[in-house]
Amino acid sequence: MTQTATLDLGHEKTDLIGRVKTTFARRTEGRAVVLLIAVLIWAFIWESTVFTAYQVTLGRLALIGLTAVGLTAVILMGELDLSIASILAVSGVVMASFDNVVVGILVALAIGLVIGAVNAFFVVIVGINSFIATLGMLFFLRGLAFVISDGKPVTMANKDFALDFGKPLLGEFTPRVLIFILAFITMQVFLTRVRVGREFYAVGGNREAARDAGVPVRRRVFTGFMISGFVAAGAGIIVTLQLTAADPTAGGDALLTSFAAAIVGGILLTGGRGSVLGTLLGAASLAILQVGMTFNGIESDVQNIIIGLVLFVAVITDPNSIRAVVGSARAFLRSRSAPDPAG
Amino acid sequence: MGAQPRSEHERRSSGAAIIEAHGIVKRFGGVTAVDNVGLAVSPGEIHALVGENGAGKSTLMRVLAGILRPDEGTVLVNGEPLSAGSAKSALEAGVSLVHQELSLVPEMTVAENINLGFTPTRAGFTNRREQRRIAAEALDEINVSVDLDEPISRLSVALRQFVEIARAVARKPRILILDEPTATLTPAETAYLLDMLQRLAERGLAIIYISHRIPEIFRICDRVTVLRDGKHVETVDIAEIRPNELVSMMVGRDLEQDLQSHREPAAPGEVVLSASGIRAAGVNGIDLTVRAGEIVGLGGLVGAGRTELVRAMIGADIRSAGDVTVAVNGSVRRITSYQSAIASGVAYIPEERRTDGLALTMTVSDNIALPNRRRLSQNGVLLFGRIAEFAKRLADEVGLRPPEIGRAAGDFSGGNQQKVVLAKWLGREPDLIILDEPTRGVDVGAKVEIHRLVKQLAANGAAVLVVSSDLPELLELSDVIHVVRDGRVVGTLSGAEADEQSVMSLASGETTGSAA
Amino acid sequence: MTAELTVEPGETPESADQEAGVEQQEFNVLVWMSEQGVFVFTALLLVFAGIFIDGFASVDNITDVFNRAAPIGIVAVGMTFVVISANYLDLSVVAQVATSAVLLLAVSNSNNMLLGMALGLLVAIAYGIVNGVAVGVFRANAVIVTLSTTFIGLGLLRWRSGGSIYFGDPDGVIATFGKTKIGPFPLAMLVLIVVTVAMHFVLTRTTFGFLVKSFGSNREATRLAGVNTPLVVIGAFTVSALGALLGGWVLAAFSNTAVSSMSDGFDFEALAAIIVGGTRVFGGKGSVLRTLLGVVFVSALTNIMVLSGYGFGYQQMAIGALIVLAVSVDALARKVGSS
Repeated sequence: MTQTATLDLGHEKTDLIGRVKTTFARRTEGRAVVLLIAVLIWAFIWESTVFTAYQVTLGRLALIGLTAVGLTAVILMGELDLSIASILAVSGVVMASFDNVVVGILVALAIGLVIGAVNAFFVVIVGINSFIATLGMLFFLRGLAFVISDGKPVTMANKDFALDFGKPLLGEFTPRVLIFILAFITMQVFLTRVRVGREFYAVGGNREAARDAGVPVRRRVFTGFMISGFVAAGAGIIVTLQLTAADPTAGGDALLTSFAAAIVGGILLTGGRGSVLGTLLGAASLAILQVGMTFNGIESDVQNIIIGLVLFVAVITDPNSIRAVVGSARAFLRSRSAPDPAG
Repeated sequence: MGAQPRSEHERRSSGAAIIEAHGIVKRFGGVTAVDNVGLAVSPGEIHALVGENGAGKSTLMRVLAGILRPDEGTVLVNGEPLSAGSAKSALEAGVSLVHQELSLVPEMTVAENINLGFTPTRAGFTNRREQRRIAAEALDEINVSVDLDEPISRLSVALRQFVEIARAVARKPRILILDEPTATLTPAETAYLLDMLQRLAERGLAIIYISHRIPEIFRICDRVTVLRDGKHVETVDIAEIRPNELVSMMVGRDLEQDLQSHREPAAPGEVVLSASGIRAAGVNGIDLTVRAGEIVGLGGLVGAGRTELVRAMIGADIRSAGDVTVAVNGSVRRITSYQSAIASGVAYIPEERRTDGLALTMTVSDNIALPNRRRLSQNGVLLFGRIAEFAKRLADEVGLRPPEIGRAAGDFSGGNQQKVVLAKWLGREPDLIILDEPTRGVDVGAKVEIHRLVKQLAANGAAVLVVSSDLPELLELSDVIHVVRDGRVVGTLSGAEADEQSVMSLASGETTGSAA
Repeated sequence: MTAELTVEPGETPESADQEAGVEQQEFNVLVWMSEQGVFVFTALLLVFAGIFIDGFASVDNITDVFNRAAPIGIVAVGMTFVVISANYLDLSVVAQVATSAVLLLAVSNSNNMLLGMALGLLVAIAYGIVNGVAVGVFRANAVIVTLSTTFIGLGLLRWRSGGSIYFGDPDGVIATFGKTKIGPFPLAMLVLIVVTVAMHFVLTRTTFGFLVKSFGSNREATRLAGVNTPLVVIGAFTVSALGALLGGWVLAAFSNTAVSSMSDGFDFEALAAIIVGGTRVFGGKGSVLRTLLGVVFVSALTNIMVLSGYGFGYQQMAIGALIVLAVSVDALARKVGSS
């Protein structure tokens, strides 16, 4: 009765080629890679200034990428954070209102964390859908930024600090590029190596199971929203430093580009699937595209159209969408191809 | 007969019991799912928990595992009260649960899933070496070999089940609870699992084993507790009882009665449904015909591919190959999409009533009107007088209680919700009606009425196809039973020759079935 | 509140066989607030403003409120269909309203008004189809889809118009329409009421409205009843687009000018009106008459804030808070009701 028989459970040990195939099938960055290659080819042929003026391109990447990386944490748990656009504006305005830059930065970052926590409160404690909770917050904070700034751009008292911020710090990298690189690496390590970050995938992939296994789901959701709020506040600070003034209407485009970067990068909107690497690739392709278009003299309105199209195509080509469409296409073809037996 | 044997049993094992439950009551809304149930299991014991669908097994088990907070009663683990309502504290107290629905995270690896919730860390970072060691050790303990770095989404269903068990074992539990772990396994895998459980019990683990399969219980269990309608019926030593006695305790009546209520086979009419070569996810080439006035049953284990078959056949899900026609009064129509199936006179009553069958926030009358909207409207404008009359007539026909068609469907009990689903399709006077688990989670009274309605449909000339895991139901209703395993029809039995034994052995593949 | 969520009854594998009988619902303040509160709050707000806010009850002010409320109201009434279909909202109404207004005035000036209206109609139908196909056929998330179409649409409009302001003929049909009043009521108000009544009829009396509700209540059950569900979604987004088209015309007529930025914030104000009115943000339940009431509430609130000297920023904050508050009350009411 207690002999240990072996049992074939249908698990095939695969050879090297099989393993390579498996590895590819597991990756989620496919669309981002395709877009990046397309954009690179376009840039090589039409607009190689993108590469010679790589400082500009990197700066743009840092801007798009930062909020997108923060957003990734939330989307991986199957939630959305639309309020990032306004957090950007509020944190900038708050930061610029302080004479002491360091105090301003610290207060602005703290505000980002608090807003993230408030978002999470409405999502996990009150139980509102995160689209709506953060949508309300988006509006509320936009108003708040206006109230604080009296509707006018707030000029920084300490302009020197801001100007220094634009100069290369390490080699050719400006502080904001370094901050983005740091944020990306931190997030990559956090989501792949740190227990709390790994559990984000469990919360997004199968929330019920995560809870039953003892994962503190509510705390993880709080953490995710606070990361997103904190990073968006950081982005707001960087934009303000770059302009030496805070614009209370800032952030409108950040909403589009950061969602586009994350979704192109393969972060599944229903949660549980995706990688920060994908977000980085998505952000890189968008940055190259935007900078290239700017150098090419394409107006910002047309740029918005193109980035909007990228997001539109990305959101209708995620695996779930493709499955839905293939199903109905098949039924349609079947109804067309075969003759009616009665007819 | 519940009270006396239970107190006797509790007295006998209270000294050695590692997990004890006393007077557990659990209500959902106004419904009592578990009513004053007690249970005690000692180390080294495999204790079976049996009962029909809806008897309260899963609820009790979730109380024991700390996931649900009981309204009354206590759970003691090693003499200490379990802090209920927290899965984590129960796990820390040594209670591990293997769920019926797989509860692994598809995108995470085997090693990560086994450690989920208890991931070993070093300064916050996942300690990968330790994580792999714990996973390897747990898999080793149950003697299963699998690549630790493979994501769950790439494993077979059976392998996932074993990873699930490895995860429970990795917690070093003192009490292991398994909820129908063999439902999706082949006979060989089942045998392997049962041996494994015995080994674990020999090492001093207390095991609570929930299953519908009587032979498994007699093979490995020491004692058995029977639940019926949320109440404790009996706890007995397995040695002191025979299988048919156990079944009688579960259903509360003799099985022989069920067999006598088998309906007279109808005179088969014209072929209505004709499907050939159906292939889809989980369906590997099935041919099927159903005639007018005939009730065809699809038997098999959960996950055998029956639901997938009917859904692919009528176009509710994608089918990769196969041809389906529905013939009514000499006109033959091909089924190319779900809408074409409905338009050809097919009615489909899905397995999941709450998610697929009803719009719960809408009224009964709205739900009934939904598939019948064409005849209840003129030029796109709804005719409310006609709708009210129509819904009222159908609600009466199916015996909805209370007959208030203006109330939200979600306000009604499971049985009455199912009657609403039936009513909405009866309104179309279907030529072919497909019912998937028509009485799951339905009270006994409603079950009888639903069976009456199904038989009446066939008597009126409709072709009926029933998928059911409830063997007495399948046997009672069907003129012909096709048994499905691994996406194929493995045997066909006429209503007269079929019994629980013959269907079950075909379904599980334990003996070579005599295909008729 | 303990650290872990408790499982709701519907999620348990054996959720409860109960004898015939329906659950009796007790009176609950939150449920009452989420379902009936808007009537009382709107009345209280109006009475309060009439007594305490100087100038609120004046004829000029009421005309002004109506003039501002009408375009947003028409947009909100159309968007109600999208919300009821459980697709959250249609952010792209911002682009749609501006496009419709600009097309109307620009084409009226260069060619004629009817051509401008016809072009607007084509654009509206295109929006309905693009949004509807992406959400209904491709099953994409409606918030993200309409976010992207907003940027595409606004980008196209600004690119083609160069961001310039179009002025209508001061004596033309459009300007006359915008100036006409019946007592204190501008003609735009009449349009809003006619649209509301018509859409109320569509939602409550027609098969299409019935299917929108049913789809919002349970997408899969509706599909399995043999309904062509993508068409329902396309229909809901098309109704929303037609509302935005009319809203844009009314807006253009009122000011006799059109510019691509004229409808900023219409998405949120319309959503606020819909949710405050009591249409359920999770879909399945709602009414355009309630949306009309929500529009009255939101417009009156905004007007009171203007009259009291609270500017744009405060108004945005109030509307954002209102959205979250209204949804919270509904969510908490459902939570209490289910436990």
